[in-house]
Amino acid sequence: MTNHTPGRNCLIVAVLLLAALFGACKPSGEESSSHPPVVVFKHSKLFGDPRPLAQLLAEFERANPGVRVRAETLPAASDAQHQYYATNLAAGAADFDVFALDVIWVAEFARAGWLRDLSHLLPAAEREAFFRGPIEAVTWEGRAFALPWFMDAGVLYYRKDLLDKNHLAPPRTWDELLHAARTVTRTESGVHGFVWQGKQYEGLVCNALEYLWSHGGEVLRNGQVVLDSAANRAALTFMRELLTSGVTPEFVTTLTEEPAREIFGRGAALFLRNWPYAWRLFEQQGSAVRGKVGVSALPHFIGGKSAATLGGWQLGVNRHSRNPQAAERLAQYLTSPAAQKVLALAYGYNPPRRALYEDPELLAAQPFFAELRAVYERARPRPVTPQYVRLSQVLQAEFSGAVAGLKSPSQALIDAQRQAEAILR
Amino acid sequence: MTREHPGLFLAPAAVTLGAVALFPALAVLWLSLEERSPLLAAARFVGFDNYTRLIADARFWNALANTVYFSAVSVALEVLLGLLVALLLARAFRGRALLYSIILLPWAIPTVVSARLWEWLYNADYGVLNYLLGTHVNWLGSPGWALHAAILMDVWKATPFVALLLIAGLQTIPRELYQAAALDGAGAWTTFRRITLPLLVPLLLVVLVFRTIDAFRVFDAIYVLTGGGPANSTETVSIYAYKVLFQALEFGYGSAVAVSVLAVVALLTAVYARLLRGSMT
Repeated sequence: MTNHTPGRNCLIVAVLLLAALFGACKPSGEESSSHPPVVVFKHSKLFGDPRPLAQLLAEFERANPGVRVRAETLPAASDAQHQYYATNLAAGAADFDVFALDVIWVAEFARAGWLRDLSHLLPAAEREAFFRGPIEAVTWEGRAFALPWFMDAGVLYYRKDLLDKNHLAPPRTWDELLHAARTVTRTESGVHGFVWQGKQYEGLVCNALEYLWSHGGEVLRNGQVVLDSAANRAALTFMRELLTSGVTPEFVTTLTEEPAREIFGRGAALFLRNWPYAWRLFEQQGSAVRGKVGVSALPHFIGGKSAATLGGWQLGVNRHSRNPQAAERLAQYLTSPAAQKVLALAYGYNPPRRALYEDPELLAAQPFFAELRAVYERARPRPVTPQYVRLSQVLQAEFSGAVAGLKSPSQALIDAQRQAEAILR
Repeated sequence: MTREHPGLFLAPAAVTLGAVALFPALAVLWLSLEERSPLLAAARFVGFDNYTRLIADARFWNALANTVYFSAVSVALEVLLGLLVALLLARAFRGRALLYSIILLPWAIPTVVSARLWEWLYNADYGVLNYLLGTHVNWLGSPGWALHAAILMDVWKATPFVALLLIAGLQTIPRELYQAAALDGAGAWTTFRRITLPLLVPLLLVVLVFRTIDAFRVFDAIYVLTGGGPANSTETVSIYAYKVLFQALEFGYGSAVAVSVLAVVALLTAVYARLLRGSMT
């Protein structure tokens, strides 16, 4: 760690800004001859063919003569990336310009002053083009600090064949899900009712929030902690009941995304809560559930509305970037409709732009995009606070205690409320 | 070379040790007296504030209790079982070398790999353990079982190490002592209590030092098996330090948690060293 004082930081920023200013004033032709400005783009490792992204970047270079882009990848583990960015940005690193942020980091990084204010790239009309959730997630104290790149949200997968056989419709409420699971598991042996992510980790928070929200509950309201509420109690009690009723196996407390997907994927579960990525795997050659899977919005409590936790990645610009104009152009380009369509086709990344869910080519490649649109309209970011990581650690432990039956849901919420207040004080 | 500068020859070793051991340790100690978090742009000296926060931190005490329980139970079982195995295998017999290499396998496998292996064995849905026992125990997902599951894995991994060290120790005990005891008509139990055990005590203490320190710092096995859950029931001090340091990025407070592990380990080592000195004289 380098030791730095606010005074020295300001000096560095001032020098860098001056340098950027002079850099921008020079005629571009002169610069490209000796030192073409290089925009460094950091993102996590892509799963799949690297060429489509490389082609996008090459196209950007062609459209912006004199600007070179260098893409650098980080390991896929989210914790490792978080640590990398935080330690480097805190030390005033300027060796990367554009980088991909997890949806839960934006407020944290914005408050630390590491991100360039990008509000001017998101005027009202442009904001309307995106779903509401990602726009909320990139906004901190009324300003936008990143551009939504691709998104995720919790969905319900169900076995069409098993529901049809029992003359059941896909459940719209949690009670209907409970009823359907009981009916089907009575006759189907070796099939679990409903699997989801119940291990103590970030995924449990994503799952639990969907119950809380679909009962009208919340974690924060206007910056105040409102965990200990009747709605949250009822929602958390229902989660525990899923286990005690046998609809959800007890071992859900060990499941993350992949083990849960694997159970459903080999035909051993009626319902699954997971992210949209699982769809392609269920429909691929050799899958035991190919052609038998339906997707819908998650159920809600009677009187509540279906909710989905937002995930996904955003592009931010390093405030210490030496080429801020070029960096902004790159971030804008990579989040453009054309680029998001390429990424959706090549990598299955779900675009945060509404219009792409009516694109015929995309709909042909990903038939369930039509269903996803309704889910994405309602996707909500996890509590937007610079203290999110610490808050989440508290929620993980307390929700885990309630789901595993170590403490009552009301006690877990009282304990969570007290600890969360201490963190956000 | 003149005789006036013997320090010159020590310098490379001293500099290396200072750079790789002393400097990081002092840096962590210093960090633990600071509030330092890149996210909050905080970097200031706060004296013992982190330690007063530690004392009031229920999650820290829970982690410490888990760690003490984990260390005490797993080390006790490892030493007892290790001694038993050593006594059985110390005698000369055909194929002994082969058997030694086989029992050392668990110790040779990297912990992260064997933790994945045990994760499958413990799987509550299709795991081998439930299949063999005919049970439906939620090994890694219930607060009552998860820590014990981690202990069992540690015992499986470390018992061979303990056994091998003790076998070496048994082979240093002079044959004549046993012959003399046999002549005097001592039975197996008396021989063990009066000859084997007293002569093994120094080595047993060394084994205890190694195993306790190792168990107290347990991280990788639990990180893979449960990540500290459910409901923090398997969160050890090292797991907690990791979450504070590398997830929440609170470098000051996280260092205080790490220093507390160091303090406990140093204390334990001091106690053992004292016992060891007593047993040697």
